[in-house]
Amino acid sequence: MSIVAIAFPLDFQQPVWLWLCLLIPVLILATLRSLSGLDPVRRVLAVTLRCTLVLLLACCLAGIERVRRNDDLTVIFLMDRSYSVESLQAFQEEFVRESTRNIRADDRVGLIDFARHAYLQQMPMRGGYYLPPGRLPQMQNTDRTDVAAAVRLAMAMFPHDTAKRIVLMSDGNDNIGDLITEARRARADGIPIDVVPLQYRHRNEVYFERMIAPTYAEPGEQVPIRMVINSQQRASARLAIYHNGKLHNISPEDSRVDLEPGSNTFYIKLPIETAGTQTYEAVLTVDDDSMDTVAMNNTARAFSFVAGASPVLIVTSDRSRDVVLFDALRSERVVVEMKTPDQLGAFTLLQMMNYSSIILSNVAAATFTDRQQEELAIFVKDMGSGLIMLGGPDSFGAGGWIGSPIEEVMPVTFEIKHKRIIPRGALVLIMHSCEIPRGNFWGKEMAKKSVDTISSKDYLGVLAYTYTPGGENWEVPLDLNTNKAAVKARIDRMQIGDMPDFGRTMQMAYKELTSGRGRDAAQKHVIILSDGDAQAPTQKLLQDYADAKISVSTIAIGWGAHVRSQTLIDIARKTGGRFYAARNPRELPQIFSKESSIVRRPLIVEESFRPQLISASADLLGGLRAGQRGLPELGGMVLTSAKQSPNVLVPIVRATDDGEDPVLAYWQYELGKTVAFTSGYWPEWGKQWMPWPRFAKFWAQVVRWTMRQESPANFDTYTKVEGNRGRIVIDALDKDASYLNDLQLRANLVNPGADAVPIHFVQTGPGHYEAEFPVDKSGQYLANVQIYNEGKHMGTVRTGLSVPFSPEYRDLSPNEALLHNVAEITGGRWLDMAPEKADVFSHDLPPSEAKRPAWAWVLAWLFLPAFLLDVAVRRLANWLAISIAVEIVVLAVLLFGMDIRFGPWWGIAGAIILAELIGWTIRFRYIGPLFDFVTHGATALAHAGERSTASLEQLKSARDRARDDRDEQPLEGLKRIDEKVEPRSERVAKRRFDAGDVSADKPAGDLGDALGGAKSIDPSSKRSSTKNRRAIRRIRAMKAQRLDCFGQGSVHQRIRAMKSRSSEAQRSHFSRQANEQRGTTHGQ
Amino acid sequence: MRWAGVFTILSAAVSVFLACEPPALTPNGVVGVFGDVGLGPGSFSYPRAIAAEPNGSVFVIDKNGRIQRFDENGLFETFWRMPQTEQGKPVGLSIHPDGRIFVADTHYHRVTIFDRSGTLLDSFGREGTGDGEFLLPTDVAFDASGVIYVSEYQGNDRITKWSPDLQFIEAIGDGEIDGSRLRRPAAIEIDAEGTLWIADACNHRIVRLSLDGELLTTFGHFGTGPGELRYPYDLSISPDQTIMVCEYEGNRLQWFSKDGRSLRRWGRGGRRPGELFAPWGATYGPKGRVYIVDSLNSRIQIVRP
Repeated sequence: MSIVAIAFPLDFQQPVWLWLCLLIPVLILATLRSLSGLDPVRRVLAVTLRCTLVLLLACCLAGIERVRRNDDLTVIFLMDRSYSVESLQAFQEEFVRESTRNIRADDRVGLIDFARHAYLQQMPMRGGYYLPPGRLPQMQNTDRTDVAAAVRLAMAMFPHDTAKRIVLMSDGNDNIGDLITEARRARADGIPIDVVPLQYRHRNEVYFERMIAPTYAEPGEQVPIRMVINSQQRASARLAIYHNGKLHNISPEDSRVDLEPGSNTFYIKLPIETAGTQTYEAVLTVDDDSMDTVAMNNTARAFSFVAGASPVLIVTSDRSRDVVLFDALRSERVVVEMKTPDQLGAFTLLQMMNYSSIILSNVAAATFTDRQQEELAIFVKDMGSGLIMLGGPDSFGAGGWIGSPIEEVMPVTFEIKHKRIIPRGALVLIMHSCEIPRGNFWGKEMAKKSVDTISSKDYLGVLAYTYTPGGENWEVPLDLNTNKAAVKARIDRMQIGDMPDFGRTMQMAYKELTSGRGRDAAQKHVIILSDGDAQAPTQKLLQDYADAKISVSTIAIGWGAHVRSQTLIDIARKTGGRFYAARNPRELPQIFSKESSIVRRPLIVEESFRPQLISASADLLGGLRAGQRGLPELGGMVLTSAKQSPNVLVPIVRATDDGEDPVLAYWQYELGKTVAFTSGYWPEWGKQWMPWPRFAKFWAQVVRWTMRQESPANFDTYTKVEGNRGRIVIDALDKDASYLNDLQLRANLVNPGADAVPIHFVQTGPGHYEAEFPVDKSGQYLANVQIYNEGKHMGTVRTGLSVPFSPEYRDLSPNEALLHNVAEITGGRWLDMAPEKADVFSHDLPPSEAKRPAWAWVLAWLFLPAFLLDVAVRRLANWLAISIAVEIVVLAVLLFGMDIRFGPWWGIAGAIILAELIGWTIRFRYIGPLFDFVTHGATALAHAGERSTASLEQLKSARDRARDDRDEQPLEGLKRIDEKVEPRSERVAKRRFDAGDVSADKPAGDLGDALGGAKSIDPSSKRSSTKNRRAIRRIRAMKAQRLDCFGQGSVHQRIRAMKSRSSEAQRSHFSRQANEQRGTTHGQ
Repeated sequence: MRWAGVFTILSAAVSVFLACEPPALTPNGVVGVFGDVGLGPGSFSYPRAIAAEPNGSVFVIDKNGRIQRFDENGLFETFWRMPQTEQGKPVGLSIHPDGRIFVADTHYHRVTIFDRSGTLLDSFGREGTGDGEFLLPTDVAFDASGVIYVSEYQGNDRITKWSPDLQFIEAIGDGEIDGSRLRRPAAIEIDAEGTLWIADACNHRIVRLSLDGELLTTFGHFGTGPGELRYPYDLSISPDQTIMVCEYEGNRLQWFSKDGRSLRRWGRGGRRPGELFAPWGATYGPKGRVYIVDSLNSRIQIVRP
């Protein structure tokens, strides 16, 4: 097939089908016999068309493909925009611009820039590099470099029909991914990677190599902290040490350090006073700024776990209300702290780990970021700590916690599962296209968060301006939020358009909330998410909203100055809603959570009831007895449903006619324990609980049950960061200092992204266990290792490591070895030169081959027309019909097959002219003689020219003699003819449908002639025309002989003469048949 | 032969029909289509405004903040960028009789002036609701005396007049007009009689004012029938002084007589040539052709109406 591919730009997927072409000779033989009734021209045409049909069919079955070969070149530039080469961005842009200045018109240029992530900035396209200087978007996350991702993206973006080349501009300091693996893939794809090394060298630099603190410490101990600082030059600096966020007091003399070139190690001892997690941070300030180029690498962090009872934390939005619980717990000797959300600070997992249990007392979900909620869940399930949620207007479903990670770890769902008629809420989201990058993406994400946040008993609808169908539409019709997955899928499919006017969508929402599906909702709320540049609604509409008590909150989405907030402020103010200016996408989840929870007010029940203790023997309440009058009354609660799990225990409930609502529920979830108390003890709901004598004992028991059980296994642990990998090493020895082998270590690692991922320990020596994990983010990595020996829990090891800054900030020079390696693997060039000399677009790569399936085109535009022509040639009555058929087919193939109808006007006109030309050529039979010439040429070759003519003449003479003999014996002839009456009549009938010489010689008549079909033949006219034709033939034969004798005359005349001679015998035969028929008729 | 003759005549008629420009080679009279989705020369990322020189080039501005210049057949000539685009991109583009390009730099609340090769010449206006201030300007028009008219929306919803030396003169159209204030005047045009035509988009109507702000005519209301409008985002005065209105949501052009009679309509929603997808603008260009900004198809369609 390769020979075929070189000769023709075609290839075949399954060439075995081409063996079908062997049928062509068989077909020729069979067809010549079956089409013997046709005149030679038609016969040759028909045979040719049938052979063509077989050939085309074979091609289609073989999966014919068009092959396009060209030496066009696509070069994708990879621009390193990480921190280490920030100062070289202009150089890189200039390199691209200069390299692409004088390239071929068909060569294409693409650009990808990268740091932690790779972004396509210019699709590979003709016309060079068009981004103006300094117009590249600001790069995010420059603290890491992932060259491999950029190479991967480039390979995906190459067009398939050009030669390919990657030009990598980088310092080679790749700190995520595996560049060598990607380079090998590029080589496999035949893509060379040329390297433009970015050169720099920081000669004056001071940075922290590491800070080492013991993993475990005891209260009262002096913890030794070791700091390793690297300096390029001799320098002096000051060290500040922070212990648990507070500056450690050291004298100015002690804080001063003198640094020698190379590594410098310093020690300090810090006193440990409290239990829990101890964090340490060291900040280095170099006296002479010129000695330190990069500031981000002057900080180091570490932490230790200090044994001892960790306190319990009460998070409350109102300290005065929860002081009663605080005092009660202290009276029961529970170590407890109380903080408002403002006092929590960053509240990372590491800080949460200072506490053994956390109580959320009427705190709304919006108080915490998504990340904090995720870490709270990890705090419970992976770190084995406790979490208690107390009821209140901002708790459970009413506080916007539905669908949050906290709901997952709690023993109750925040939805109402059983049938109960409660007032519904209705929430309508109005989505407006935002003219900022990823604005619509964030809009959709927040809409989905709303779907999660509100209950399935509430109404939810989404309105947006969309294009299909055009206009304002209910993308999610207002209905019960039961099928959340389906609603989110619809939101994902939304194509948010550029809404001209808030008025129309607000009018639609108003109508649906007041007289449509949402009319029975007790709480009606609308959220508009917009960049604010749509037209404001009318004042009347806003007044209608206010009258109907439908609040509208507006969220201006835009991270820059592009927010038209005044209209949004007006809408919110006049309808009793709130306005938010979200300048950062991270703010959006909290805003949406808060706003969506407005419709959840109906989940709060504010009526007095006496809770029933239905299971006093539960371990949580062991020893507690409900007094004779039962538990004290409560004045309200938040409705929830106990989870359908055997682990969930619900000892206290509120009994109603509809069933039992959990008041107190608890369970152990993975390693941690959680409790839900859906009511409150403050005066509004728990007036009788505060004076209850067992109040303190009750809460102390509940809290103690949830507290993290510390059972540390006293094994040595060691953590280290090596390149992109972190490593945890555990040495397991028993009290006799014997190695503990074959232990089962199960661990979850919580990375700085708040993702808990399992890590696997491998025993690499006697009692020596190691686990590795990727370190691609800066921050704290915490691991909670559960150790089992033959299925028995031996204890827990908590460990971790701190990555204060990215290795990006530690790179002092390029990694040329890696870059050389990449160029060598892929066959790329080392372009350490000016762009004009680099010749990035040199066409020294093998030409590309692009294959496209062509069988469908062949089938539609060659096979089908050929088939129609085949039928036309055999069936249509005369050349006029054939010519029109050919004309139509040619026109259809040209216009539709070649897609000329979408071409320029002269293309269409040309197609029509060409079709007409072919049609008229056939009509005037200009092409007929050519076929005759070909036919007779072939015959002459087969019969060796003159010899065949002589043989023909002999045959003619013999036939003439035979005819003369037969004419002389009419009676015997009549008898013979009588015997063949039936077969002859069949032949006559067949000829009526044939397009033989009779009709060919006849001038075009009517449509019946043109399109064929049966037609009666008048015997008398046939007789007279036969006489005329015989006379004409004789004249032609004489003329032809004369021409042959003189060897003169035009080709046309010679062809006609040949034709006349060759068909003489056949026509004589037909005329004899006619005579015989006449004779027979007369005889009868 | 008779049928051959008939067929030939038919073919010839078809070829003449197709070769002549009017209802051309593709359905509905589209003479040409240029542009595709992309960031390269000749490609568009959601084009939103167009202006054409009477016998010269066509200028298109897209949501990438680029102004591209094409010849009358859609052949790319040059492009330049708006000086600032972080806050948003322009939606209005007009050509002064002296050849300067006036861009309603919508999200920067100003009008920016270029020469035809993209050199920044001047700009006027600042954010605000007072005299000489704009809120989201949408379009620019010029009268015979050189006075500049600028439409704006979202709060201001008015037309301001500026002297040829870019000094504020007055605001018109800021009161009630036929029972309703202007709501997003998306486009303005001044006809040969010296009257101002306004595409009052969110009221789904066309307003005709004298240059002093006196109401002359209003017509149109929301709907899809003849004479009804769905967000008229642009209008243009045809050579025979009829009003061509481009309906953003209606996906069509509609021609009106000056007394508001709907004369004819062209286009429907879709992706194929002759169909429109959220068109933001249309203008008369060289040889009486109409150039339509087929925004969501990221292309320009040339129509011989």
